[in-house]
Amino acid sequence: MIQWVAWLGAFFLDRVGELGRSGLFFYRMIRGLFRPPGKFHFVVKQVYFIGTKSFFVIGFTGAFTGMVLGLQGYYTLSKFGSEGLLGSAVALSLIRELGPVLSALMVTGRAGSAMCAEIGIMRIEEQIDALECMAIDPHAYLVAPKLIACLIALPLLTAFFDVVGILGGYAIGVDLLGLSSGIYMDGVERSVAWEDVYMGIVKSLWFALLIIWICTYKGFYAGLDEGSFGPEQVSKATTNAVVASSVSVLVCDYVVTSILL
Amino acid sequence: MSAESHLIDMQGLNSHYGGRQVLFDIRFTIPRRQVTVIMGVSGCGKTTLLRHLIGLKATQPGQVMIDGEDLGGFDEAKLRAYRLKTGVLFQGGALFNSLSLWENIAVPLKVHTRLPEKIIRIMAVIKLGLVGLSEFCDYMPSQLSGGMRKRAGLARALAMDPEILFVDEPSSGLDPITAAGLDQLILDLRETLGMTIIVVTHELESAFHIADQLIVMDQGRVLAAGGPEEIQASGDKRVRQFLNRQADPRWTENPATSSCLPGERVEEGKG
Ligand SMILES: Nc1ncnc2c1ncn2[C@@H]1O[C@H](COP(=O)(O)OP(=O)(O)O)[C@@H](O)[C@H]1O
Ligand SMILES: [Mg+2]
Repeated sequence: MIQWVAWLGAFFLDRVGELGRSGLFFYRMIRGLFRPPGKFHFVVKQVYFIGTKSFFVIGFTGAFTGMVLGLQGYYTLSKFGSEGLLGSAVALSLIRELGPVLSALMVTGRAGSAMCAEIGIMRIEEQIDALECMAIDPHAYLVAPKLIACLIALPLLTAFFDVVGILGGYAIGVDLLGLSSGIYMDGVERSVAWEDVYMGIVKSLWFALLIIWICTYKGFYAGLDEGSFGPEQVSKATTNAVVASSVSVLVCDYVVTSILL
Repeated sequence: MSAESHLIDMQGLNSHYGGRQVLFDIRFTIPRRQVTVIMGVSGCGKTTLLRHLIGLKATQPGQVMIDGEDLGGFDEAKLRAYRLKTGVLFQGGALFNSLSLWENIAVPLKVHTRLPEKIIRIMAVIKLGLVGLSEFCDYMPSQLSGGMRKRAGLARALAMDPEILFVDEPSSGLDPITAAGLDQLILDLRETLGMTIIVVTHELESAFHIADQLIVMDQGRVLAAGGPEEIQASGDKRVRQFLNRQADPRWTENPATSSCLPGERVEEGKG
């Protein structure tokens, strides 16, 4: 019994400690935005890595998501005889929900995991220590450019996802199922208001912040708890980062939706 | 020796990882413009000691004085100023994998100076020349051997012309010729630039070759400190053991070891 209480206490102390440390990391990351070194060069590199290199996979996911929405939506709507609403249904679900969430999940899997592993390797090979010894703030040098880049790239990727998805829905609804092209596009145009687009952008900005915060944090502290630094610490950190970041994206999605709705 | 000639004054450093203490009341002084070598078997706490001295591990106030100031009481600005005049070579070189050799050396120059890229490249190649790697300036770290990476790490540590140089295990894992070259370079740096150099090593030969002052450590404690002759003449049993490269009796005579071996313990007299 006593042991159980002690275990519980240790567990919560651990959580609280982790919370404090990640909060401090967040503060340093934000502070790093305003500290030297200059970031332009690094940001361009990272936008290329997060954005340009994710283009294909985002387009692919977007197209198939739109196509599934087209199929499912048509099936459901046709039960009520309102196939004409297909355009609105596809566009709204993409722009408000699926676009930001799925883009964020894809970026987590593609870029977030890579960033976590990159920083984790720098940790275990003492490269982060070396930066500190050169009087370079690793948060400003390594983390902050990634944050800026993701804040730029993720909304753009989301917009791309939405557009490709709407076209995917069009391909299914109009070309395959024989809906009139005018009715589909009219539905898209009439139903999407500025608030919907705004919500999509706000979400993707929050997701960008979460992804970078969690993935770089996990890499930054890879192995520091165990006091042993090896490849297995990096792989563990990367797995944790992807899981934690994906879950937080979904939770954050719910929170933002409930606030903005 | 007057107090001012001491750059670093260790006044009883204790260090812990979690609940485990690994350094016990470390006391010694490090003179300016000399080579101080910290020796000891692996695991005795040399790297930990170094991490305190370069501010990577927090030090309690009042335990280490640097240039008359308390390392434990440094604020961020002071720590930054201190780090700008120190260079550190890590055990594995710690080169940035995504940058070529010259770009690695250019990192501190790009961040801390406003020199144009061309000049920075020239300076980086000169530093690489110091360690005999100028032809390799466009290579990536992954294309180099471990010894070359370490030499490049030294070039990077020298990039900002530090007053104090910390070196962790310069010659471990290097062939004897490269190791001798590094030793010579360390002596040259002291001679020509008057650098204060602190070297951590377990290589006896190299230690006695370069040291002005030697510190012998064992299990987180200082066993002996002094000039090479003093240490050579030391009568301390454990120092002698280390110098004569005898196997540590704690390894061979410890009865606990046998309980770690696999298999069943067979009681005598039975069967
Ligand atoms: N990050 C760490 N967490 C916990 N223990 C550590 C850590 N780093 C080193 N140690 C322990 O501290 C002791 C001294 O290690 P270290 O300073 O690396 O020795 P050396 O450099 O002389 O080989 C060792 O017993 C080691 O296990
Ligand atoms: Mg060591």
